[in-house]
Amino acid sequence: MDTISFTLLLIASSVIAIVIATLYSLVLPGIERKVQARIQQRIGPPILTPGFWSVIKFTYKEKVEPIAQMPRLYKCSVYLGVVVVAFLLLFSTPYWWAVLSWGSILGIVGLLKIEEVIYVFMGSQSQSILSTSMPMPDLAKGSKHIGTRREFVEQHSAERAIKMMAIGSLPIYLALIVPFVVGKSILISDVVSFQNPAFFSAPWYGLPLPSHPILFTVPGFLATIPFFLGYTILLNEKPFSILKAKIDVIEGGVLEYASTLRAAYYVMRNLLLFALSSIFVTLFIGIPFDPFTPFVFLLNMLLSIILPVCLAVLVAFSPILTFRQIYPVAIGLSAIGVLAMILAVSI
Amino acid sequence: MASQNPVKQKEVVEIEKELSFGPIHPALLEPYRIRLFVNDEYVEDCELTVNVAYRGIEKLFEGLPIERALVIAEKVCGICSNVHAFNAVRVIEGGLNIEVPTRASYIRVLVHEIQRMTSHLLFFGHAFEVLGHETFAMRSFLLRETFMDLMAYIGGNRVMASVPIIGGIRPRADLTEPLKKTILSRLDEFEDKYTDYVNRIMADPMVMSRLTGVGLLSKDEAIKWYATGPTGRASGWDFDLRRDMKEYKPFDFKVIVLNEGDNKARVVARALEIFESIKIMRQVVKNLPEGPVVNRQWIAGKMDYTIAYIETYRGELMHSYGLDEHGLIRNYKIRTPTITNLAAMEQACIGDHVTDAMVTIASCDPCLTCCTRAEVVEKGRSRVMTDQEVVRNYGWRH
Amino acid sequence: MSLKARSRRNAIHAMLFYSGGCNGCDIEVANALLSPRYDLEQYKVLFTWNPREADVLIVSGIIAWQLLEPLKKIYSMIPNPKAVVAIGSCPINGNVYKNLVGDIGVNEDIFAPLDNIIPVDVKVPGCPPRPEDILEGVVKGVPKLVEAP
Repeated sequence: MDTISFTLLLIASSVIAIVIATLYSLVLPGIERKVQARIQQRIGPPILTPGFWSVIKFTYKEKVEPIAQMPRLYKCSVYLGVVVVAFLLLFSTPYWWAVLSWGSILGIVGLLKIEEVIYVFMGSQSQSILSTSMPMPDLAKGSKHIGTRREFVEQHSAERAIKMMAIGSLPIYLALIVPFVVGKSILISDVVSFQNPAFFSAPWYGLPLPSHPILFTVPGFLATIPFFLGYTILLNEKPFSILKAKIDVIEGGVLEYASTLRAAYYVMRNLLLFALSSIFVTLFIGIPFDPFTPFVFLLNMLLSIILPVCLAVLVAFSPILTFRQIYPVAIGLSAIGVLAMILAVSI
Repeated sequence: MASQNPVKQKEVVEIEKELSFGPIHPALLEPYRIRLFVNDEYVEDCELTVNVAYRGIEKLFEGLPIERALVIAEKVCGICSNVHAFNAVRVIEGGLNIEVPTRASYIRVLVHEIQRMTSHLLFFGHAFEVLGHETFAMRSFLLRETFMDLMAYIGGNRVMASVPIIGGIRPRADLTEPLKKTILSRLDEFEDKYTDYVNRIMADPMVMSRLTGVGLLSKDEAIKWYATGPTGRASGWDFDLRRDMKEYKPFDFKVIVLNEGDNKARVVARALEIFESIKIMRQVVKNLPEGPVVNRQWIAGKMDYTIAYIETYRGELMHSYGLDEHGLIRNYKIRTPTITNLAAMEQACIGDHVTDAMVTIASCDPCLTCCTRAEVVEKGRSRVMTDQEVVRNYGWRH
Repeated sequence: MSLKARSRRNAIHAMLFYSGGCNGCDIEVANALLSPRYDLEQYKVLFTWNPREADVLIVSGIIAWQLLEPLKKIYSMIPNPKAVVAIGSCPINGNVYKNLVGDIGVNEDIFAPLDNIIPVDVKVPGCPPRPEDILEGVVKGVPKLVEAP
């Protein structure tokens, strides 16, 4: 295959994958809300309302300037987030595996790290009305500690984001390494062909099923636990939603996003929900997100619902954990990840 | 300052930053402002600004005829509307020696206990929402609807039932036989579901790890700050005015006292109180005597300044006023339980994680609409200031 | 129906502003209306606490003196189109706090009615209104959102 046709195919597959994944990911929050609502004995919103219609509605709202220290950087960070998450999604499309290190674990881990750092950017920029700058005569009444630095809740959220980066993202990285240890390579293509040898030789209309998926081996199954909880941590969902805990920091750094920017934030969050789930299906079951083999593509999309639904159930049944509980939980999960890795070496 | 009085000098804590929340905030059910002085994630000091929803309600009473005043008394608070109406009539009944029929007194207790249930279940809902556990909160709100319904059946409104009037209860709130049956069957239904709910909460490890050992309030501190009600009883202070109230004499119930003094104890104390309330309500309905429900043989005349205390859902409530010779109200004073519980709340959340501090404040069940006054101590004499005065003297900050 | 109108009809974000009063209405909105019995979400109304996300501002209570500035500020934070729903008698006419006064004559501490401060689209009277009525009030604010440019 010459370079030009390869590039064209690469672009075509990326565009198809991103467009379909974005549309599909906007259905997922509706499914999540519905599952939670049914657990809470409610009917819940229609499936398209929390994701799809909300995003379209936000794009039609008046564009307002966010209150931030550096508004342009603040506005850029959410678009940067969308781009990072879109590239993350492309890790499960086979055309990108041939491009330099794009097909290796290093790329996934690097992009995930950028995604986490974006929350620190957002948090340190945003200055919402809901905390310190609310016009209230509270200082007028005096205080025991005069002259203390007054911080916006978003800045507090940014500090929490740094702590979560330090400890919270370890489990998912360890879990991501396991399939690569089993496949004895750092390339995704090797991991997929290890699980699904028929995939690369199958015709476009074929449905090559994996012969020995890593998920059903002992290390693979063990690694699923830190992967799932690490997924929760990366999405900042309960019980690990400390950096956007509703009860103190409200929504964290994303508070000031309005209209189009909020639509972009919704897309970023929902696309991450889908992208990580799709990467899980690619790495642990061996079914990639390949737009040019439609049946494999659909199967990947179908299986990618499982993690968001599990997430919705977890969210419905858990309170927010504080750092008192998150540190031991993250250490325990990392230990499980290490154990899975040690077991994986022996396969 | 410190050199003048070295004995009282406090240990100076270095404060890294201040976080302020409110008055519009998901964790706050009412408008008030929380200022937390934080080191890293740990709260070193807490300050609550509660005068936000100032309505000047005590001034409104001045010069009103007593029966019109009861309309305002009920609207002091939307959570505990009945108790303010109840206690306002108890003042004049005590002052003018108005006889209350036994049947009316029973029904007043019933409505009081129904509203205790709605208040406690609201507390659960709110506490779990602050804890981040939406499912338990929703379940609690669903259970609460039982009592909102009963309130509407008896009084005609879900919130403002207006049952007590001077000398008894409103005749429309009299219990009929079908209504008695409904109350008993709804109570049975509720008790089953509620027992499951409480057992489920107690068995949840994640919720318990958030609650246990957080927000400690010792017995001495509770007594020092007059943290009455379930907040004080969860810290081991055996104090319940219901034991001394003549309305509660015919009924048999237990006062729940726990010794731990943490957030878990405050939740459990209220959870167990609900079972006692169910017991009282059953006794009311089963032993309800026949007879008139209202005594109209009274004339509002001159009355000395009279005080009545009552045990509400959050603690001790005081209403007091006098009547002049035309029967108009003079010097209405209300002291709500939250005024004293506030100090305990500020005390209890010191040393905890920021997220836990919000739970601690919620676990003391604040109800702030009623307590909106600023007190200034000048040369040893205190006087009450309104908000406008405070800002005029100390400036407004944007 | 255009995509704009459909999207606005299908996703409504409502925000609650407590502005003093006895908080009976606030609890009816925040707790009864969101509870499984009434479930606001099944009517495509999602509850939020962030003015940047909101379409409908639900105001309950008399406007207390200290909450005047925050109310104006939060109203200005909501991006257009927006609708304001006044819940209960307090924002409509000040309820007993404004109308049942004794010797003081005029209660200067409260700033009801709400019309004097921000434009109100829907008024739901009652003390407190039933949850069904509040729901109807919120839904009545939708045509204004949909028809806005």
